[in-house]
Amino acid sequence: MSSVLFIALPLLFGFATPILSRFGKNGVAFTSLAMQLFLLFLAFTLIGDKPYIEIISIAPPLGISFVLNNISLFFVTLFTFLMVAFSIYYLSYRKTDAYKNETKFFILLNMLLASAIGLVLSSDIFNVYVFFEIAGISAYILTAYKKTPSALEAGIKYLLTGSIASIFLVFAIILIYLNIGSLNLAIIAQDFETLPYNLKVFISILFLIGFGFKVEIFPLNFWVSDVYEGSTALVNSLFSGIVVKAYLFAFFHILYLFLPSGEFSTFLIYLGAISMIIAEIVALKQTNLKRVFAYSSLGQVALIFTAFALQSIDAIQGALFIILAHSIAKIVIFLALTTIEKNYKSLDINVLKELNAPFLRVVIVIAMLSLLGIPLFAGFIGKFLVLKAFAVEQIFPILAIIIIASLLEAVYYFKLIGFMFEKGDRKDKIKVDFTHKFIFSLLTFLILLVGITPFVISGFLLDSANVMLDSISYIAMLVKG
Amino acid sequence: MFEFFNQPEIIKIVVIIGSMTLFFVGLFGLLTQKHLIKIFMSVAIMESGLFLLFIGLIYKQNALAPILTDNQQGFINMNDPVPQAMILTAIVIGMAVLALGVSFAIEYHKLTGKTDIDEITSLRN
Repeated sequence: MSSVLFIALPLLFGFATPILSRFGKNGVAFTSLAMQLFLLFLAFTLIGDKPYIEIISIAPPLGISFVLNNISLFFVTLFTFLMVAFSIYYLSYRKTDAYKNETKFFILLNMLLASAIGLVLSSDIFNVYVFFEIAGISAYILTAYKKTPSALEAGIKYLLTGSIASIFLVFAIILIYLNIGSLNLAIIAQDFETLPYNLKVFISILFLIGFGFKVEIFPLNFWVSDVYEGSTALVNSLFSGIVVKAYLFAFFHILYLFLPSGEFSTFLIYLGAISMIIAEIVALKQTNLKRVFAYSSLGQVALIFTAFALQSIDAIQGALFIILAHSIAKIVIFLALTTIEKNYKSLDINVLKELNAPFLRVVIVIAMLSLLGIPLFAGFIGKFLVLKAFAVEQIFPILAIIIIASLLEAVYYFKLIGFMFEKGDRKDKIKVDFTHKFIFSLLTFLILLVGITPFVISGFLLDSANVMLDSISYIAMLVKG
Repeated sequence: MFEFFNQPEIIKIVVIIGSMTLFFVGLFGLLTQKHLIKIFMSVAIMESGLFLLFIGLIYKQNALAPILTDNQQGFINMNDPVPQAMILTAIVIGMAVLALGVSFAIEYHKLTGKTDIDEITSLRN
């Protein structure tokens, strides 16, 4: 029952928001947070009894089905946790700087959460498409929410690329249905091998283009930095923490189940490596902080992409570690940028030189060191595992590219850190209120906790990686219903 | 005179050629047009091409509507209802995205007076 709750509750809540908002100004904000906390509690209780498997299937193999196993539970917990952190931050942010028409804002937030969880849970290719679109639509509106020219411009760009992506995805789904006659992932996976080679390649390319726009892979990621710059830093924390990760998982979930491996996965590995190095090079010369972190997001997502494409247990475990570390670090950085922008009205790179906020400075530095993969921070263990996996497989060019990309990353991160500790004139001190201090401390504590004692979670992530790679038992489980 | 066109193979070919023509008309518009509204229209045309392709290819002539009645107990000689449901959903989603896109374009035009995609470059540096 619980896997339906994860999707149904936020969706229901989203649509009930107009009614709830009649009970007072703060009603929606608090009930939304309470609902998300309940989901988080539910997810944590489920993590306890492992290995967890739950299938909700209406008339298998024809109907809709959701699968909640270790790997999807990891993503569900991560997304709800990030959303809770975001909501707590927003709870105090809205006192001084609330979004206009807040009711709509809460509808979109909960729709985003529901669709990200839906992408992770569905095991039915058409539902994947529906959640793909819902996540897209809520992200477009959140981008353009402020209705300034730059926000609208970013929204238009995001929407155009998104609708082109969805056309390619629909094309792939149509070809699959015409040739296989089912939408269930397990049945498609069983019959996909029997299709002619050319058709398989064509469908794979359509899938790659459709999802490529959304997982921000090299030739298709031209829109990302514009969207990050045009929208607010507050919302960017969700894009970087939740939306991309949901699309990444959905893509590789489908890839592992039925798309061809071999040459295709080698191609994906190199594609990811190329996008990683290009993103890091372009990030070097950016002058807007939002753009810098957009490109750093691109680099990290490409690293996760490369690791997933290798299809080995170690690499997947490493990728999951990077996903965890990157989501937390990026939400910390973007929320900190929100506070800075609110006080100094600018996010130019030079604003860091005049930053007068010791607490925020420490928090940002910890998050950046974690993104870099310095030992004792959460990012280290993931990068280490991925490097190890590539060394075991003896793919040395990728190893070199990852290390070069990390060095380039180090260059601009240390430039930013240098700016923050430069001597000179400072602006007025930023006052960080208690709620924000609490949420930043919690998140940085998690970064340090995962970094210093990775064994707390590595067992669970290893199980998850095993579950993700083991498509045979997934198919058997799903066909049985 | 037109019996020739009633053969299933011929219908299939006509559907494929027609819908793919529509798809490529849309693709051509997407690549060549500069006006925002025209670009959204091209996207809509591409989508309809795909939908027509799917519905046209899956449709069986002389088959029944997929409704169980007293006379019709099993799923024999019926059209497949799944594609229709799928395409209906896809049409609704496509429409919603299109409406959203057009509303963004209108708001943007109100603020800046620009509609040309080549002029919308304030975010690039």
